[in-house]
Amino acid sequence: MNKILLIIQREYLSRVKKKSFIVMTLLTPLIIAIFYGIIIYFSVKGVNGTFTKVAVINENKTLTEQLKSTPTFGYTYENKSLAQMKADLGKTGYDYILYLPDFKLDNPTGVQILGTKQAGLTLSGRISSQIENLIRNQKLKDSGLTQADVDKLKSDVDISVKKIGETGKEEDSSAGAATIIAYVSGVIMFMFILLYGIQVMRGVIEEKTSRIIEVMISSVKPFQLMMGKIIGIALVGLTQFILWIVLTASISTVAVKVLVGKEEAKQISSMQAAGPGKQAVQAAGPIGDIQKSLASLNFPKIISVFFFFFIGGYLFYSALYAAIGSAVDSETETQQFMMPVMMPLLLGYALSLSVVTTDPYGNIAFWLSIIPFTSPIAMMVRLPYGVPDWQLALSMLLLIVGFIGTVWMASRIYRVGILMYGKKTSFKEILKWFSYRN
Amino acid sequence: MLSVKNIVKQYENHRALDDVSLEVPTGKIFGLLGPNGAGKTSLIRIITQITAPDSGEVIFNGKKLDSSHIAQIGYLPEERGLYKKMEIGEQVLYLSKLKGLSTAEATKRIKFWFEKLGMESWWNKKVEDLSKGMQQKVQFVATILHQPELIILDEPFSGFDPVNADIIKNEILELNKQGSTFIFSTHRMESVEELCDHIALINRSKKILDGSVDDIKDMYRNNTYWIQYEGNYDLSGIALLGTVLQTEQVKNTTLIKVQLQEGQSVNELLAALLPYVAIHRLDEVIPTMNDIFIDKVKNVN
Repeated sequence: MNKILLIIQREYLSRVKKKSFIVMTLLTPLIIAIFYGIIIYFSVKGVNGTFTKVAVINENKTLTEQLKSTPTFGYTYENKSLAQMKADLGKTGYDYILYLPDFKLDNPTGVQILGTKQAGLTLSGRISSQIENLIRNQKLKDSGLTQADVDKLKSDVDISVKKIGETGKEEDSSAGAATIIAYVSGVIMFMFILLYGIQVMRGVIEEKTSRIIEVMISSVKPFQLMMGKIIGIALVGLTQFILWIVLTASISTVAVKVLVGKEEAKQISSMQAAGPGKQAVQAAGPIGDIQKSLASLNFPKIISVFFFFFIGGYLFYSALYAAIGSAVDSETETQQFMMPVMMPLLLGYALSLSVVTTDPYGNIAFWLSIIPFTSPIAMMVRLPYGVPDWQLALSMLLLIVGFIGTVWMASRIYRVGILMYGKKTSFKEILKWFSYRN
Repeated sequence: MLSVKNIVKQYENHRALDDVSLEVPTGKIFGLLGPNGAGKTSLIRIITQITAPDSGEVIFNGKKLDSSHIAQIGYLPEERGLYKKMEIGEQVLYLSKLKGLSTAEATKRIKFWFEKLGMESWWNKKVEDLSKGMQQKVQFVATILHQPELIILDEPFSGFDPVNADIIKNEILELNKQGSTFIFSTHRMESVEELCDHIALINRSKKILDGSVDDIKDMYRNNTYWIQYEGNYDLSGIALLGTVLQTEQVKNTTLIKVQLQEGQSVNELLAALLPYVAIHRLDEVIPTMNDIFIDKVKNVN
């Protein structure tokens, strides 16, 4: 036991002390924080970008309503002729000329946008939808409605999604927030298992190619060496993950303050309070919703289940990676063995993010989250939508049984593989090692 | 100290060791000889408990070999290696702690040995920054640091320059004097003659010869002598005493190799020659381990 501890200590310290580990650990939260900051920045300032000045020449007699300026478009009605405006375009400071000819309201044709620059698809699309609105309003008014009636026609619908919990109580929930959490935890789980599983494999190959392996196993049992490595690297992963959470949280708090400033911070909070202004409602709607339902998710449960499935899934797969590493002489030879190990993980990942997020209670989701090959990812994706306790317990139990199985299998391959130098190994041969006596 | 009894090790389609038995006496340097692929490494891996035999047993100090003996065995494999990115001091410390030494004790001994072998300044260097010979020295220290009773060295001098090989050889002899038993696997015969007290020769998974070096050499003496003389002599005059195997003119002298017939002594040969020639030199032809090795291996093949 003491020897395993020594091995764990070495595997852990030698990785944590590496420059690349320190750089990755510090840089990643910084990058995440910057991304987060940029997103918030733009959600506050709006992605409106440039302000476009448009001169409108209206030759239409029936169209008495006028286009209203928006934060992105400034419409000015000019009484000059089209030819004159065209000639003066450079001097007047307008970006575009919008020409509305005398068309019938039922058949608006001949509308033109002219400018020194080619108007993009988005720009012409926006202007055309504003003109469509304008024509609709004109028609409504012509049929006898007042401005107030027209305003009343528009109503925003905000569906409040509630889930009835097992106790029969209504719980606030939002498919949006659950999906985000599901995606994020699924992706992180996949990344971590793959990243650290491969580190285990590299470590085994390094010991083999540097030939220290023979010295090592004349001092310790192969099983001790393998488990020491697997556990040591698991601790590296946990350290990195915890540091990422802590650093991301603290850096992004600072970043929000710096990037957004006090005024906008107030704006966010007032927007979150769902102010009455239409502009504010539009922005606050989805964000406010998500924040409301984020609060309703059981984070301590999600995080602790995440840690369990991370450790379980990692042990399950890293044992297989250790076995692969022991069977080859260099990393380039790992390809043929990587495929069968990667496939279930990739399949779990792809299916989890497609099938499970659209149908989190279905049969496929259930089986994916129960079978140990895919359960670490699938269960994390399902969890935010709510999973019955018995299913969670069954999945955890099977994962424990699963990793004991893969560790046992891997150790039988490992003890033979690490002493095989210079031979190309086939699957058939690995199966034979399995039954070797020592 | 170590008895290997009827060891059999079978791999998929070849038998690495076939009923091999040998005795390693306490406090001696034991040479384990044999051509490449004879089964030496397989045997060493069984003694170091890296693998287990299919049948037969190994007795260490009167007890069946088990994991409690790991701390009493030091092993320098032929395929040498260290963790490339690890610092030297840290690495030797790690390896000796795995053999059961405490940090304080191991540190003390590492300092002692590093000083002794002129490696003090290497402590914080990384393995990848050292030359191959330097790495070997580090590994030698790691092998003997826990003061094992039995030290197994597989081709210990390969990769060393003559100066360092000599340093290591002297350390081996000194440790041997202090009581350590050595098993020394090699196919370089000159180091065998210099160091080994006992040998076992393994060829094609079988032991074909063992015993003390002196006994074996005695066994291979065949009453043959080199004689160098000045003067003319008709060699048919000694035909009754033995057979002249070789004749050679060296400047103004003659060099002959004579194998005496059984029961004849070299004195009689000299007596026959002395009246006619001036004797310059007389040597008994003692077979080198190299000759015995080649002879034995060829015979079997």
